[in-house]
Amino acid sequence: MQKRLRLNFTVDPQLLALVQGADNGAVAFEHLCRTADRARLERIAADLEAWRQTADNFYHGVRAVFFLEAIHRYFLPPHYPVDAPGTIPFAGHERCLERRFEEAIAIFLTHQQTHGASDALGSALAAAYHGLAFKTLAQQVQKTVRHVRGNQWMFRMGHPLDYPLRLHGELLVRGPDGTAPVLREETAVRLDLSHAAWSDIFFLGMDYPEGAKVLNLSIDLAVHGRDATPRPPVCAYLRVIDEPVLRLTSVDLGATADITSIEEVFDFAKDYLGLLKAAVIAAGIVPPGLEGSGHPLDGILARLCGPGRGLEIASQVRDIPKGSRLAVSTNLLGCLIAVAMRATGQVGQLAGGLSEEERRTIASRAILGEWLGGSGGGWQDSGGIWPGIKLIEGELATPGDTEYGTSRGRLLPRHRVFDPKAIAPATRRALQDSLILVHGGMSQNVGPILEMVTEKYLLKLEREWAARQEAQEILRGIVGALQAGDVRRVAELTTRNFFGPLQTIIPWATNAYTERLIREIEAALGSRYHGFIMLGGMSGGGMGFFVDPAAKPEARRQILDIMRRTKAGLEHALPFAMDPVVYDFELNENGSTATFEGGEAALFSPEYYLFMLPRWVRQDPRALPSARRAEMDRFSARHLFTHGERPLVAPLMHRILPPPAEHTAAGGSLREMLAANGFDPIQHERIRADLRAGRIGLAQNRVAVTTQVEDVRAGDVVALYSPEHDAEEAGAAALREGRVAVVTLAAGAGSRWTQGAGTVKALHPFAKFGGQHRSFVETHLAKSRATTLAFGAPVTHVFTTSHLTHGPMEHALASARNFDYPGRVVLSRGRSIGLRLVPMARDLRYAWEEMPQQQLDPQREKMRQSMHKALIDWAVATGEASDYTDNTPLQCLHPVGHWYEIANLLLNGTLRELLAAQPQLEHLLLHNIDTLGANLDPAVLGRHVLDGATLSVEVIRRRLEDRGGGLARVGGQLRLIEGLALAREEDEFKLTFYNSATYWIRIDALLALFGLDRGTLDDAERIAAGVRALAAKMPTYITLKEVRRRWGNGQEDIMPVAQFEKLWGDMTALPDVPVRYLAVPRSRGQQLKDQAQLDGWLRDGSAAGIEKICAWGAG
Amino acid sequence: MPTRIRKALITAAGPQQRRLPLQSLTDRDGATKPALAIILDEMFAAGIESVGLVLAPGDRPAYESVLAPFADRLVFLEQSSPNGYGHAVLCGREFVGTESFLLQVSDHLYVSRVEKSCTQQLLDLSATEGCAISAVQATHESQLRFYGTVSGTLMPGHAGIYQVDRVIEKPTPTVAEQQCVVPGLRSGHYLCFFGMHVLTRKVFALLADAAAAVPAEKLGLTPALNQLAAREKYLAVEIAGRRADLEAPFGLLRAQISLGLHGAAREEVLALLTEELALDSSRR
Repeated sequence: MQKRLRLNFTVDPQLLALVQGADNGAVAFEHLCRTADRARLERIAADLEAWRQTADNFYHGVRAVFFLEAIHRYFLPPHYPVDAPGTIPFAGHERCLERRFEEAIAIFLTHQQTHGASDALGSALAAAYHGLAFKTLAQQVQKTVRHVRGNQWMFRMGHPLDYPLRLHGELLVRGPDGTAPVLREETAVRLDLSHAAWSDIFFLGMDYPEGAKVLNLSIDLAVHGRDATPRPPVCAYLRVIDEPVLRLTSVDLGATADITSIEEVFDFAKDYLGLLKAAVIAAGIVPPGLEGSGHPLDGILARLCGPGRGLEIASQVRDIPKGSRLAVSTNLLGCLIAVAMRATGQVGQLAGGLSEEERRTIASRAILGEWLGGSGGGWQDSGGIWPGIKLIEGELATPGDTEYGTSRGRLLPRHRVFDPKAIAPATRRALQDSLILVHGGMSQNVGPILEMVTEKYLLKLEREWAARQEAQEILRGIVGALQAGDVRRVAELTTRNFFGPLQTIIPWATNAYTERLIREIEAALGSRYHGFIMLGGMSGGGMGFFVDPAAKPEARRQILDIMRRTKAGLEHALPFAMDPVVYDFELNENGSTATFEGGEAALFSPEYYLFMLPRWVRQDPRALPSARRAEMDRFSARHLFTHGERPLVAPLMHRILPPPAEHTAAGGSLREMLAANGFDPIQHERIRADLRAGRIGLAQNRVAVTTQVEDVRAGDVVALYSPEHDAEEAGAAALREGRVAVVTLAAGAGSRWTQGAGTVKALHPFAKFGGQHRSFVETHLAKSRATTLAFGAPVTHVFTTSHLTHGPMEHALASARNFDYPGRVVLSRGRSIGLRLVPMARDLRYAWEEMPQQQLDPQREKMRQSMHKALIDWAVATGEASDYTDNTPLQCLHPVGHWYEIANLLLNGTLRELLAAQPQLEHLLLHNIDTLGANLDPAVLGRHVLDGATLSVEVIRRRLEDRGGGLARVGGQLRLIEGLALAREEDEFKLTFYNSATYWIRIDALLALFGLDRGTLDDAERIAAGVRALAAKMPTYITLKEVRRRWGNGQEDIMPVAQFEKLWGDMTALPDVPVRYLAVPRSRGQQLKDQAQLDGWLRDGSAAGIEKICAWGAG
Repeated sequence: MPTRIRKALITAAGPQQRRLPLQSLTDRDGATKPALAIILDEMFAAGIESVGLVLAPGDRPAYESVLAPFADRLVFLEQSSPNGYGHAVLCGREFVGTESFLLQVSDHLYVSRVEKSCTQQLLDLSATEGCAISAVQATHESQLRFYGTVSGTLMPGHAGIYQVDRVIEKPTPTVAEQQCVVPGLRSGHYLCFFGMHVLTRKVFALLADAAAAVPAEKLGLTPALNQLAAREKYLAVEIAGRRADLEAPFGLLRAQISLGLHGAAREEVLALLTEELALDSSRR
């Protein structure tokens, strides 16, 4: 690959100062770019590209990459001509997928030199720079973790003969009956009271240690109403066993395994034991240097605990729901690492507390463990290992540190624990009595938010930078208030933080649920409400409400009621993993502590036995080892038949004889829902048979490999970038006369939007417009209201629905009185439904192994491959192409593609009723729920009217992220083609127009395609025959979707399922259908598929553009 | 102040080592003798005049019988109960008196790479530095569990001589990496005790204080050495030679091979090893 080293460059001194992170208050990067013309921006980009390759400071180089991303993503695109064609070289995209970003950038820049800059190429460059920046940052942190003293030896150790650890002698001493002693570690979780603007992100703390500060509390928890008193929320147990295996058990996840090979220790996603495996590795029991060494595990275990012996480690989260934003996973990892390091002498004391040096070592091992396990938190997350209340601050790297010379800060921050003199016991009590911690029940991925924070920090955006400074001031205020004993002031400051700096930096930290909760709780409690605190990356899950201590019991009840009610009102719109809960909490003043038990007391937790006993009693009693029999006796004597606080006989019987599981939902059982929603069992069996026989499948979705796929030619597309007076007049006339209605496709769940959570995307209050959160439905109606107001004729707006979306949408529209929409709002109920299938292993392999996909960083890639293997095994074991029923009914059913949503307008009589009520209706605007810019633009409508086509299809110039097909000449025929139908991935990169899935439909011509006319719309049989006949001409695609399967305490699995679809775009492939293709500005066709897009959509002005075409109702 | 070391202590009271020093080996000159006799030969050759041998109760007759040739320069000392290595050393306090002294273990043999014996190298340095000095050897981290380990800084202009900052008994690699990294060593190697020290009388005071503070606990030498490092000049020196730990698996065999390869019968030993290897390979 040619090196793009340009030596004759000079970087603008102002720009150089910015890239070097100077506090240049007068000139910010945004200001510099916003005031520059295209030529200057291109020069800046070229200079930065050349400079970054000679930059000798790591963070300066990374900042230059972020600047380059921003230039290509935000600042250059407005300068490109709106209709400028541009292509993206596929080779560059391939390099991006392989994470070879430098090569990708080289390919894109060479392409730019040859073909000129373009919006399309700019999007590719922005993506490549983005990938490069985060890859570089992640690699640096990972390198530092490996090089931290105390961690290095584990990467050197590659042979059992070099294995240095031995188990603590006391763990090897057996009792008279052979009982092995048990080591138990209990650890707090951490509560970030300050939320200092995500300043615990490693990249931030290592570049700007002065600004990386948090106030972190170690707390014990109880679920209010369920548990008697708060306890350390996580614990781990360890003992020696008389089998040469590593027995790992996760009590709360209900998983146990006897591991016999080193390879299996490194197979993180095989089961639910990934965290335990990461802990075993990070603690050095099986050091990372042994991965792939091929040595037997029993050899290591023999050295560690003696020949023929092994180790049993069990972990337990004490029923604390996932997503609490209290870093439960990281502290469990720390807890496991602590118990393993005690057992192997790496921590001085077998029992009791930890020294500061030991805590730091455990924290750095926890960072290592998180990296190994493919996850990653902030540097404060292992705070539960420390006691009490502490200020955690970034530290400058000094000579001798492994970080010195690379980053300004150290990897590990400094923990300053406040003693009772600094923060008085009375204040601590007041804090406990004032703060009500809750889990709101929402489950969200905070990963994109952390990327946004990093990017905004390194770009030093003006508003965000000021907000960061304010957050630091708030932190100082909170510390001061605690020292002064003023908890009320703490509440004021955390509330100010949430509504001020945090939302300035990340507007997505809040959501409609949280804001409604705060409003209602404040209204209900009045002066007894003192404030709000967001925990962790975003709100909706772990949160807190400050109240008058005297009113806490009553406030707790009211808050729980309000949360439950509010969740019930929004549960179809937002991803909830569980019902809300309220916690009781106490400060943990001990940090992570261990106890060593021998003799009768040498037992794991009661919950461990509830999980393991049913397995043991199912064994042949003669095969039960005597030690296990003795252990059962000890457990029975100690816990089972005593009257402690938690009687265990009933739960044990429940485990031994579990009741039959039945999934039901609001719409009834799966069988009832199938019957009620037009399920066609004959078609289902045919699809299953075809799938099993290999007649349909992912590979069969594609057109023949010999089919020629070409880009459009001159004249294929009508450009609509500037107003056409005639068209505008014709469109305006049609609007004034009520000759057009809008159909918004809203049957789908938006799988990508909430990663298969099964919510109704149409109802998702995704962004704030006019000061409040608005859903897609409300936004689309607001556009139609604007049209109604402009042209004086109420526009009829139809939303197509499905089994999943109909009820919630009906309810939401009724509750909001159609958002005061002046025209008719009609729901077109789905009449077709499919039952999801367990995928074919063949299709899973095709999707995961043969199709190009974005590689992840090496550890995450290993996790993903391990997960894929486990899921393929699951598909085979469950039965390929068998019905997918192991989930709630709503997650087992699927809408069968948007082709049917148009057919349903005929089948369910919606179109007939529309025409009856509005006989002048001639055209429909059909668009996807996530195409926010699609509106009744008179110029576009007019062009459709004047051209007389049956279908007018809107297309936009392609950017890299516009994937899934486009406009092409396929075998010479101009048509839309789906991405999944293209024979080769690279074919998509030849296509310069993307199908935005917005269609203008001439109603009478459409009816003719179905063999119908206005007069036959009440002939159900004829309609059914017409639909069947046209459906037969449409290809059936098999697609893989991800659905979430919820279980336990907010746990979720993401499962792949197969389903079939017919898609509306294939109508353009029908012969003799007059189709026009209209090239429209990007703002009309841009789609929001993924919540991670939202920030860029807001920053690049797209959101403001949408707001301009909306007229919001009073409600 | 230059010091001449006249007295030595050898500890042989450890429960695992009571008979090891009496095992017969062939020394560098081809003479067969107990391992302890080889140690004593090296000590006396280096100028030591009198050796105190710390034994467990009841072991004296066995030692007396095989060490008869050294009887006039040997003092037998008894460690009445197994109260730790530090206690064994403290048992020699009266014998040593107020002088600095050489301390060695009885289950290690030392094979020098140079003309001077290992003991001689240490005593020569002691003569010029006049302070406590421990002989150390760069040791792989997998062996740390057997040895006391020092952290220190290289003395400018003195190759292989370190100012000791801290002594840690049998650290894990984690602790060693955090606290015992010494510049100039191979990665994963640390300065571990050689089993040979020159100590000042101060160490007896420190041991006595520790014994008085916690009379019920076993007394280690390492904590006293760690304290010594904080109170007076204390050096570590990398000796040009190697230790052979008789207690380790195949320890006697390795010690014998090492002695043979560095002695007059080197050719003979090489031939013997070659023959064994050839026979072994023909069996496969």
